[in-house]
Amino acid sequence: MSGSFLPKHSPSSTDAPKALARILQVWKPQYGRLITGIVIAELAVCAGLTLMGQAGGRLTGAVIGVGAGYMLLRVAGASQIVLRYFERLYTHDAMFRALADLRVWFYRKLARGAAAGLGFQRSGDLLSRLVSDVQTLDNLYLRIIVPMAAAILTLPVVTFICLKAGIGVGLTVAALFVVLAFVFTFLGSKLSERFGPDILRAEADLRVASLDLAGGLREARAFGAEDVLANAVTARQEALFEAQKRQAVRMALMQGLAGLTAKAGVAAVLCALAGIVFHQTPPIIGVTALFVAITALDSVTGLSRAGLLTGQVTHAAERIVDIADRIPAVAQGTDPLPTSREIRLENVTFGWSEGRDPVLRNLSLTLRQGERAALIGPSGAGKSSIAALILKVAAPQQGRILLGGTDISHLSDDALRSQVAWLSQSSHLFDDTIRGNLLLGRTDITDADLWDALDKARIADVVRELPEGLDTWIGESGSKLSGGQGRRVALARVLLSKAPILILDEPATGLDADTERAFLQTLNEVGDGRSVLLIAHRLTGVERLDHVWCLDNGQAVSRSS
Amino acid sequence: MKADKTIAKAWVKAQGRASRSRTSVITVVGLFSTFLGILQGWALARTLAAILLHDPDHVAPAICVFLLACALRTGLGVLQEIFASSASVAARRRLRHEILERILAEGPALLRRRHSSAIAATIVDRVEALEGYFARWLPASSLWLVSQWIVVAFVFWQNRQAGIILAICCASLPFFQAVFGIATAVASRRQFLAMTRLQTRFLDRVKGIATIVLSGGTEREAQALATSADDLRKRTMKVLRIAFIASATTDVAMVIALVLIVVTQSHDLLSATSESMTAKALFAVLMVPEAFASFRALSAAYQDRAHATASAEAMHDLAPMPAHEKNPSAHTLPTRTAKGVALSAEHVSYTWDPTRGPAIQNINFRLSAGETLILEGESGAGKSTLIEMLLGFINPESGRVLLGEADMNTLTPHQVSSCISWIGQKPVIFAGTIRENILFARPDASEEQILAAVKSAAVDGFLSTLPDGLDTRIGEGGFGLSGGQAQRIAIARAYLKNAPLLLLDEPTAHLDPATEAEILSSLHALSEGRTVILCSHSAQARQFHGRHLLLKQGQVAAFTGEAA
Repeated sequence: MSGSFLPKHSPSSTDAPKALARILQVWKPQYGRLITGIVIAELAVCAGLTLMGQAGGRLTGAVIGVGAGYMLLRVAGASQIVLRYFERLYTHDAMFRALADLRVWFYRKLARGAAAGLGFQRSGDLLSRLVSDVQTLDNLYLRIIVPMAAAILTLPVVTFICLKAGIGVGLTVAALFVVLAFVFTFLGSKLSERFGPDILRAEADLRVASLDLAGGLREARAFGAEDVLANAVTARQEALFEAQKRQAVRMALMQGLAGLTAKAGVAAVLCALAGIVFHQTPPIIGVTALFVAITALDSVTGLSRAGLLTGQVTHAAERIVDIADRIPAVAQGTDPLPTSREIRLENVTFGWSEGRDPVLRNLSLTLRQGERAALIGPSGAGKSSIAALILKVAAPQQGRILLGGTDISHLSDDALRSQVAWLSQSSHLFDDTIRGNLLLGRTDITDADLWDALDKARIADVVRELPEGLDTWIGESGSKLSGGQGRRVALARVLLSKAPILILDEPATGLDADTERAFLQTLNEVGDGRSVLLIAHRLTGVERLDHVWCLDNGQAVSRSS
Repeated sequence: MKADKTIAKAWVKAQGRASRSRTSVITVVGLFSTFLGILQGWALARTLAAILLHDPDHVAPAICVFLLACALRTGLGVLQEIFASSASVAARRRLRHEILERILAEGPALLRRRHSSAIAATIVDRVEALEGYFARWLPASSLWLVSQWIVVAFVFWQNRQAGIILAICCASLPFFQAVFGIATAVASRRQFLAMTRLQTRFLDRVKGIATIVLSGGTEREAQALATSADDLRKRTMKVLRIAFIASATTDVAMVIALVLIVVTQSHDLLSATSESMTAKALFAVLMVPEAFASFRALSAAYQDRAHATASAEAMHDLAPMPAHEKNPSAHTLPTRTAKGVALSAEHVSYTWDPTRGPAIQNINFRLSAGETLILEGESGAGKSTLIEMLLGFINPESGRVLLGEADMNTLTPHQVSSCISWIGQKPVIFAGTIRENILFARPDASEEQILAAVKSAAVDGFLSTLPDGLDTRIGEGGFGLSGGQAQRIAIARAYLKNAPLLLLDEPTAHLDPATEAEILSSLHALSEGRTVILCSHSAQARQFHGRHLLLKQGQVAAFTGEAA
């Protein structure tokens, strides 16, 4: 909203070459295609140069040599039209496949650490990383790697042909080629290391400000603060424009410099033809050298310009790798699932961060298979922490948690989570249909099951009255439903799970008193031998429970059941 | 759809007109560049002719002219690029301003129709996607025809036969342009849809990623993401394929022109009659690529044109121009008494979705200044709709809402919001510091006023636990703050704003009883001297006394009680 609002960018822990290497590793499955793309590009270069070399040698008449040579240059270009078409098509396709892989890889990385929440990583920033950083990486292959590979192949051929026209002129053209293809590119990339990240950062900031505006439209109108949010967007936009303008000026100057260098090469060959400065070259060889020099030098002027993009590219790679690496890999156990569904906490001590006091101290409790229990206590007492521990969202500092006698740290996350369904306080409703929200991609559930779950969650009548029923689109975070209705859809999703253990964290939030009672009575009948752990501030009296634990000062005190 | 396309076309044209002056500067630079290109070609032809016909006297001056033309042309190229970039920046600045105004005019009702990330994508990506439209397409489209035919004219002047051949080949280009241009526009629209879908889906999935992971859906979601990313690739390739074919056909036309010119000029080239004849023939040959260069620039920018159409449609779809402007001077603000402001609803109705029937119907009540109204009803009974109407987010379809004596519909959004403080279930905490989040309610507040609000809302109670006090950064969604703490920030905003009408929409829905009691007593203190509308299921909210309005299926079931 103001100047001090700019997010701090944490200094990157990974250095640039490492980040690029990681990205290249993710692209491994596409290596075949990416390399084929380079080979086609090389073929196109070879075709052009061979034709040129042939053309020069076979021409007889000097003057027609110029006209026909020029024609041949273009015909060689024409034969390249087909190759070039396939090259562009193929390299772009390979690149986009690699980018799609990268997006999915990034998502998987994110999912690994997501259970503990996203914290300061704002979703706007994440979106920016996924969309524009990934997009930026296409420059790495299309504008840097492929042309660079072509330039490396072109250099000896150009040098060879131009040396035939004279040592001096040959070396001059070769030197200019090296300057264009490698020296300028390298200098550009050095230069861009400093300013390249600016554009990406500015764009990410703009995106966060825009998301704040879009998500905060209600607040903005209610507080008459549209200007505050709009100004934040405008301020970020100006920062982005500044960065873009600077980049444009550098690009234009680099392009100009590269253009002049290429023309200097052409002039050198012309001088050799005329016998100025260099020894006079025979016309036929000289004209061939002229055309080869024009083609080759023009083909690498773009590379100097692309050098200025490397800063952006490496920064994008760093940001992507940085966030992916910040998520710790959790060791996965391999023990088979035990048959019993008993949950036992043994002397568990747990705190969310090192410095703070633990929320749970030496806590032990047992929920036997098929039992119902309630965990009550004030907020901050650690009720939700217990749920997080059982689902391996967090690990206890001391003690252990057993499922049917097996320490859950020896089970894989997936196996464990297939046994426990959790309605958390922050269960998310997706911008999808009611059906899509209930299924979350599963395909093994019938409509009858869906209606049954909706019935139990006391929301079926509401859904039945909707004209599109299960296929009603519920909007962002369920915005088209009322708060209580949305909560019940989330509840139905949990009830739909086949997991033998249900953990319901404040399931009645947002329900009016009557609905809450009715729902809790339904819950008494969920049965089928499932265990239920109900987490609540208070009990209504209608719950049928085997245990009631009061959580106080990190300890569970059993109350009458 | 048809009407939308017409609007989009008109919009795109209007954009072109708005940046006409900047575009014409770039066009003029481009014209000079074309003339220099002709001079460059002419000098090169002279140089070669002189060398081949062994006329060394003419070589050196011709090379000098060639180099001079090259240097000047490079300089103009640099200028052209810098001008194009600043033209594009100016156009995008204007456009983003326009879009922001439209989104803000549409207001919160927009969030019912559109995902917030789709709105943000319009603000950021739709505008940025037009970078090339302003920087490349507009100048190229006004330049190419003139530039091309200037070259053709020069060739014709020097060499009749070659000029005619070149003219015929060039004339075939608009045909290609039409064929491939239309196809690109269609494919590009689909590509943009795929792109937006990918972004919206991703943001939503990221927000709910914990839910996905814990329900074991990571793999399924990753697959779904892979599918939409692949969809994006296919759409992009469709656009690119057309662009590549278009550029390949231009190359083919150019090669045909070259071959024909060399073959027909071979007599002059072979017999080497005179230096000037040879130079003219060479000039014709060298000018062929120059004649096609401007068209290449155009077809390279054709995608940018397609992006413009797609963006126009998306913007129109998101927020159509407001139909009527309210006149703010016609009505004065309602008078505020020491107790607050009077509020009444007269037979108001509203329907979100005609297929689902009215959300509220014929609601009628009247509150005097300082009274409290407790809004009751089952979830889905229309409480939130009524609150949004009282906030002025939506206008009643029939009936009217009176704020003081003024019909709310005749007040500007700013006038309405200046009278109301609103605290909802989950306040949106913006990315930034706590101070900035509170100041949001009144950016010009003094330090004393902020501190007073912080104290009244008991924000100071938890400030000491935060590393930087008021300047502690809190992320999107209020990371690091509990629900009660976030709600305290909302209360501090309300204190700072000091509006006579207070709307409380389930302010304690997510809080435990102890925190709830604290928040409610803070709210109770805040309600002193204000008119209050409270909507809450909580039993504890009974400490608020006042009238009760019970809603049932969108209608008033009961309106009881007297002011306390």
